[in-house]
Amino acid sequence: MGILSKIFTWWDGATIGTSLWSSRNGKHVGTDAQGNRYFRSKKPDARGRERRWVIYAGANDASRVPAEWHGWLHHSYDDLPESHLPPPKIWEVDYTPNATGTLSAYRPKGALEQGGKRARATGDYEAWTPDA
Amino acid sequence: MPKVTVDGQELDVPDGATVLQACELAGKEIPRFCYHERLSIAGNCRMCLVEVKPGPPKPQASCALPAAEGQQIRTDTPMVKKAREGVMEFLLINHPLDCPICDQGGECDLQDQSVAYGRGASRYHEHKRAVTSKNMGPLIKTIMTRCIHCTRCVRFSEEVAGVDEIGALYRGENMQITTYLEQAAKHELSANVIDLCPVGALTSRPYAYEARPWELKKTMSIDVSDAVGANIRIDSRGREVLRALPRINDDVNEEWISDKARYQVDGLTRRRLDKVWIRKAGKLQASSWNEAFELIAAAKPGKDIAAVAGDMVDCETMFAARKLLNALGSNLVESRQTGMNYDVSNLAAVNFNTGFAEIENADAVLIVGSHVRWEAALLNVRLRKAAKSGAKIFLVGPEWETTYPAEFIGADVSVLHDLPAHVAEAMSKAERPAVILGGAALAKGALHPALALAAEWNLVRDGWNGFNVLHFSAARMGSLMLGFAQKGGMADIAAAKPKVVLSLGADEMDLEPFADALKVYIGHHGDKGAHGAEIILPAAAFTEKSGTYVNTEGRVQLADKAVFAPGDAREDWTILRALADALGVSVGFDSFEQLRAQMIAEVPALGHEAVADYGALPKADMSVKASGAMSYPIKDFYMTNPIARASAVMQQCSAELLHGEALPEAAE
Ligand code: SF4
Ligand code: FES
Repeated sequence: MGILSKIFTWWDGATIGTSLWSSRNGKHVGTDAQGNRYFRSKKPDARGRERRWVIYAGANDASRVPAEWHGWLHHSYDDLPESHLPPPKIWEVDYTPNATGTLSAYRPKGALEQGGKRARATGDYEAWTPDA
Repeated sequence: MPKVTVDGQELDVPDGATVLQACELAGKEIPRFCYHERLSIAGNCRMCLVEVKPGPPKPQASCALPAAEGQQIRTDTPMVKKAREGVMEFLLINHPLDCPICDQGGECDLQDQSVAYGRGASRYHEHKRAVTSKNMGPLIKTIMTRCIHCTRCVRFSEEVAGVDEIGALYRGENMQITTYLEQAAKHELSANVIDLCPVGALTSRPYAYEARPWELKKTMSIDVSDAVGANIRIDSRGREVLRALPRINDDVNEEWISDKARYQVDGLTRRRLDKVWIRKAGKLQASSWNEAFELIAAAKPGKDIAAVAGDMVDCETMFAARKLLNALGSNLVESRQTGMNYDVSNLAAVNFNTGFAEIENADAVLIVGSHVRWEAALLNVRLRKAAKSGAKIFLVGPEWETTYPAEFIGADVSVLHDLPAHVAEAMSKAERPAVILGGAALAKGALHPALALAAEWNLVRDGWNGFNVLHFSAARMGSLMLGFAQKGGMADIAAAKPKVVLSLGADEMDLEPFADALKVYIGHHGDKGAHGAEIILPAAAFTEKSGTYVNTEGRVQLADKAVFAPGDAREDWTILRALADALGVSVGFDSFEQLRAQMIAEVPALGHEAVADYGALPKADMSVKASGAMSYPIKDFYMTNPIARASAVMQQCSAELLHGEALPEAAE
């Protein structure tokens, strides 16, 4: 990511301000499999609670936070996921972000975007072409 | 005229009427399953029970009981009600309760009558009888468990169609209706048993599970698959025609239609012309109306323009085309696209003068050059009735399988000049003799020799005109009334070397002589005509426009528009109207009403839905001699027009029933 796009865009990762603020006030506590980095505030906030946040590696899409980190971010538990959750089983699939609205969204076999054909309906006809 | 009393109402009934008919005359509805006006009486369903005095003190089947002087008939007593409930209950013992998945649902006699006359609930708990379904070919689907053994189908094929195809096996509860050895029903009227079957035992195979009767729009129309002009009802949903059913018209088709009329409609959704095509560098390419019109205008046809009408066009289209040509100063119009050039100076000589209903009363018939079964299946039914009441029938032409006793007296048309003595005698001695001339005979110049015979046998007498020409194309009589004929037929058109040839759905014409002309095809199906054309303008099929048709009897009939034409296709007259603008002439009509009014002003007979009067037969030209072996124009009953050729059902019928291809799938 070039420095220019860092300055002028905000949809991938953190803006300069956020990065600066994070490095000053936050402590990097971990990184998930996609490279998203998780932070904790050094000082508790006005309500006396520690703040937690994430800086995405890539698109800022909340659904990219995997389940274990989601729990931590929302203060469901205090320990970092690696330290208190059982290690993932080999049969567990990798976490995938929500694809709705993106190109990789699931489309059933008959969907028009998949090159599917709609079922025959009344009024359909077969047009003649000269090579028929 | 016996006098009977029905529910206290006295009335005279015609001699020979049955009690059921007497009740109907009195306006009482009698439920029935086996009785049908056009079939013999079977009396086996017992649904028509009424109380009759004098007589035994029990209900009697009214359909089989002759009405007699002084009978007291009651249809509203508790005894009759109870009897009907009882019969209904018996019928339902073995009838499956599968109405929700039955195609007859909504138009089923059993359903309706059990609602109207049955008990409220069933008392029957035992198992129902099950019957294996039988193969009856590509048109008729059978679910024989539903059969109530009314035998209408058996009687139809035996009595009306004249083929012993359907019969019953076993007795009593075990009775089963089947075709002989489970072969397909093959004759041209086979699908009429579907209408006759009062339950869902025989249903339409191509239409299976397509629609329910109440979701269909019903449009009155005329069949164009042959020149009989059978009255049909087009059932459509949205933009698609789903089926064609006969309408009752005792003068034309009674209650039947041919399988082609019924099942060619699926061809209306295949091979459709739905956009303008223009030939560029030898290849047809999709184009626009404007470009096509410009191209035709650029050809500067002037008066070198000809129009050839196909077999299925309506009178309005032909009239509009003629108007256009006349405005351009041409009168090169022709409808006999295969090149026939019989004399049309007097239309009485090329008309079916006897009429279909009357031909039943003929007592001697000479058919020359017509495969009646294929060219006019419904006329064949009438001829069979005539034969059954004793008419002698002789045929000239190659042999075909008749459904009545008939004698073939030679395939060469010259037999007309030298008839076997017994034929000549039978014809001259007959009280109501009739001659029927088919297309094959006309092609060999048999018109005047036949007129000579007409004069010799005195075919036209008091209340009887026995001279008939049987055409095959639905447009023929209409086209002749509109003057769509040249003296020399197509040869005259070719000799005039037109620069532009408008083909109004003419798929049978020979394009060879018009190699240099700009051929414009105005039609609805991509068939021979479209392949040979330079410009294709998509038009409407017979279900997609209102129109006037004249059948071979000269009967003028109107058809309504059922659905819209697909894609860019337009009604024919609008195309011709737009073409007039493009060519810079005025045809004098802007709407269909104006067009029709002009047509009627010019040919008043087209304004009355009745048989047109063509006057007296002309004098025969004795010098004309006919000779040559005839061959029928129809080679395949199921493939005679572009719609039928496009229809998958007709193709299957042709392959399976006529050419014996493909094993019929086992019924199950
Ligand atoms: S198949 Fe239909 S028409 Fe034939 S006997 Fe059975 S119920 Fe009657
Ligand atoms: S209608 Fe009379 S017995 Fe069937």
